[in-house]
Amino acid sequence: MPLPIQQGLFQAAAEPMQVDAVPEENDNVEDVPYIVDSTSLDLEQYASQYTGLAKLNRLRFIADHCPPLKLDALRMALSYVMTTYNTNAYQQIYRKLQEAMSSNSCLPDAVVGAIHNVTPLDAQWIETTAKKAALKLEKLDTDLKNYKSNSIKESIRRGHDDLGDHYLDCGDLSNALKCYSRARDYCTSPKHVVNMCLNVIKVSVYLQNWSHVQSYVNKAENTPEVTEHGKDGGQSVLTKLRCAAGLADLATKKYKSAAKYFLLASFDHCDFPELLSPHDVATYGALCALASFDRQELQKNVISSSSFKLFLELEPQLRDIIHKFYESSYASCLKLLDELKDNLFLDMYLVPHVNTLYSQIRNRALCQYFSPYLSADMSKMATAFNTTVLDLEDELMHLILDGQINARIDSHSKILYAKDTDQRSTTFEKSMSMGREYQRRTKALILRSAVLKNQISVKCPPREGGQGGEMSIAPGNASSARN
Amino acid sequence: MANALEQYVNTVQTLSTQGNFSQLCDFISKSAEVLSKNVSHLDNVLATLDIQQHSLGVLGILCVKYSMPNIPDFETLFVQTQEFIISCNGEHVRYATDSYADLCHKFTHNLVERKQPSRGIQILVTAINKIQLFQAQLTSIHADLCQLCLLAKNFKPALQFMDVDITDISKEGGHYDSKDFLCYYYYGGMIYTALKQYDRALYFLEIVITCPSMAVSHVMLEAYKKYILVVLILHGKLSPLPKYTSQVVARYIKPVCQPYHDLVNAYTTNNPEELQRNVEKHQDTYSRDNNLGLVKQCLTSMIKKNIQRLTKTFLTLSLTDMANRVRLSGPKEAEKYVLHMIEDGEIYATINQKDGMVRFHDNPEKYNSSRMLLQLDKEMQKCIQLDSKLKEMDNEIAVNPQYVQKSSGMHEDDIPGSSKMQNY
Repeated sequence: MPLPIQQGLFQAAAEPMQVDAVPEENDNVEDVPYIVDSTSLDLEQYASQYTGLAKLNRLRFIADHCPPLKLDALRMALSYVMTTYNTNAYQQIYRKLQEAMSSNSCLPDAVVGAIHNVTPLDAQWIETTAKKAALKLEKLDTDLKNYKSNSIKESIRRGHDDLGDHYLDCGDLSNALKCYSRARDYCTSPKHVVNMCLNVIKVSVYLQNWSHVQSYVNKAENTPEVTEHGKDGGQSVLTKLRCAAGLADLATKKYKSAAKYFLLASFDHCDFPELLSPHDVATYGALCALASFDRQELQKNVISSSSFKLFLELEPQLRDIIHKFYESSYASCLKLLDELKDNLFLDMYLVPHVNTLYSQIRNRALCQYFSPYLSADMSKMATAFNTTVLDLEDELMHLILDGQINARIDSHSKILYAKDTDQRSTTFEKSMSMGREYQRRTKALILRSAVLKNQISVKCPPREGGQGGEMSIAPGNASSARN
Repeated sequence: MANALEQYVNTVQTLSTQGNFSQLCDFISKSAEVLSKNVSHLDNVLATLDIQQHSLGVLGILCVKYSMPNIPDFETLFVQTQEFIISCNGEHVRYATDSYADLCHKFTHNLVERKQPSRGIQILVTAINKIQLFQAQLTSIHADLCQLCLLAKNFKPALQFMDVDITDISKEGGHYDSKDFLCYYYYGGMIYTALKQYDRALYFLEIVITCPSMAVSHVMLEAYKKYILVVLILHGKLSPLPKYTSQVVARYIKPVCQPYHDLVNAYTTNNPEELQRNVEKHQDTYSRDNNLGLVKQCLTSMIKKNIQRLTKTFLTLSLTDMANRVRLSGPKEAEKYVLHMIEDGEIYATINQKDGMVRFHDNPEKYNSSRMLLQLDKEMQKCIQLDSKLKEMDNEIAVNPQYVQKSSGMHEDDIPGSSKMQNY
């Protein structure tokens, strides 16, 4: 493939995602730009959990949303990007870094540190890297052609894979996806199929094409013998697949199924820095589970799950939150959650869902709090949830209207009463309305059959005029105004 | 010329006495031209015929008189028509239902033009009663009656017909115009709306909208607009139309009703201000369609729906709080609304004026009174009757020779889509 065209494609594919990853994924309402000012994130450690594009994307995401960490994040990204062939990303990150510095220059401290540290735009590096990349591409291309002329399936597959790897290294996602998918026709063993699926999944995650991810996860899971390969009985492959599926479900707001997938991950085989870190699995899994599981499921699948326990050890705060939630000490649970919120806002996959998940967790807590009571004092409830009685009343109102809590509020004495529904009366009511509905439908049906029998139907445009004319006869009614 | 009229009278008299009515009908329709040439003498001809004995002949002459481009003496014609309808022979006239309907249409038309709708109501009621084979049969005169009632703002006479559910449609010379059908249900829907019987109004309007159609009808379009407004007033949300609704509605009618769909969207926010904003935005459209009154009722209905929603969540609530939540001007207005709703049986509540609290109750109906049981029984009877009607129709089809012939020769799955069968 000739290089110039290549470059064009490359930019087209890379641009929308690289300019700013956020608007793309936040296609929902929460598109408002936000800034996280304080965070306890250890950037060094955080970045070390990822490799490849995952690292770049995450660092850039943090740079966009967290001014205190902006410079560090960009610098880290810059030094990392120099180990790849991704010249475009280099230039963009460099530009951002420069902007950040100039805007920061009013702060003397930063200026001193920054100006000395910043390296000039390494034009030479760009040039040589671009050249190297082109050379490598050419070599891989000719190799692939050779393999094809020899028609050795295995080599062709590998050729495609290598080419895909190279494109990925250059940051050209769409071409990488193409190459990886092309390898599909040359897969000879289930292992290869799985491998191909994993590659496609990886790129699709970068592209945030979640339906693609889901379909390839299914494909890989349906491949026979997927579990029998490898020393670990396919655990690492399975874990990878589950995490990818979980991520896709999270992104498409299927929190419960996301939670289930994450909970199935095996801690010992959770090693795929180009996708997710174990920390992420713990966070996503725990939050989704809190938001979507009921008490028993939480106990059975999360708290007493030996494998997920290991994940939770990585995020002690979340572990505490889950236990607090289970022990019904909601105030401290919600407080801990609030403390965690800022950090969660810096996670590019979780951000669009943080608020939804939080409100779901809160609602679940409210429901659970009230479930054993016949009546509850709302002022006590308000203290238990760090809120005022009035706000609580509003929240409860929504929950009652949603049908999540079966209760009614005594606004006078501020007491919440469980509602005892009279089954007999409701059955009567239901059957009455059902009967009326039946009558209505049947009457309409009988009339309709008469209409069809007489072949009454509004036909052909010429009649239109006639009708319009006729309608003007009725001056007193609304329709005549339309002639 | 007098000869032709004489011949007319003679033929009518002989054929009538012979009881050969179908031949008479043919003759009358053929002689319409001759009659129209002798307009000035028609009154004399009328005098020689006996309304009861020679109904068809009289009908023919009256029809010709109405078809004249201008009617010189409408008062005489009015009296003649009235007399004819009151004392004509129903059995004779049924041989010419189309002319009979035509007469009524023209009669109505003239009354509407002269802005005297109330004069014709009683006559049309008689006319319908005379021509109907049974109560549940729809004639095209129904539409005329509804139109007159609407114009005269006198709804009661039409109700006796509208409250009966139609099961059959009069043939009227093998052709029943879809316009009459649509108009009847459209006017009927308007009458019920005016009487605030929204449930029934909705049913009527739905029939208009779901009428089989290949082209856009203005009646359907206006009915759709009113349907949206009534459904909002009654249910507060738009539920999907039945599956058999013709494609035309979705394709051509919905797109031109955007202001009304905007109203639905505004309504679903449950925010009166949002709705008010929308109403102001499209006010011109609504008032041009003469629907502003209904739109205003939507506003009130939203407030009522919001209050009803409160009864689901609260046991007690202060009037001030209620005013805040429903966005009313103050406790006074809230009290007014609650009071009216209690009176209308829309909510069950008591107001304590001492501390300004409203206490909501459950529905006091316990379904154990004899009155309620009687009502239940009635409802069940209605369902049973409908069911037996369906069975009867099913039987009718099963023994229909055409159907038997078609279905016996073919497999189960390709039973022909005869117009009757599509309902099953």
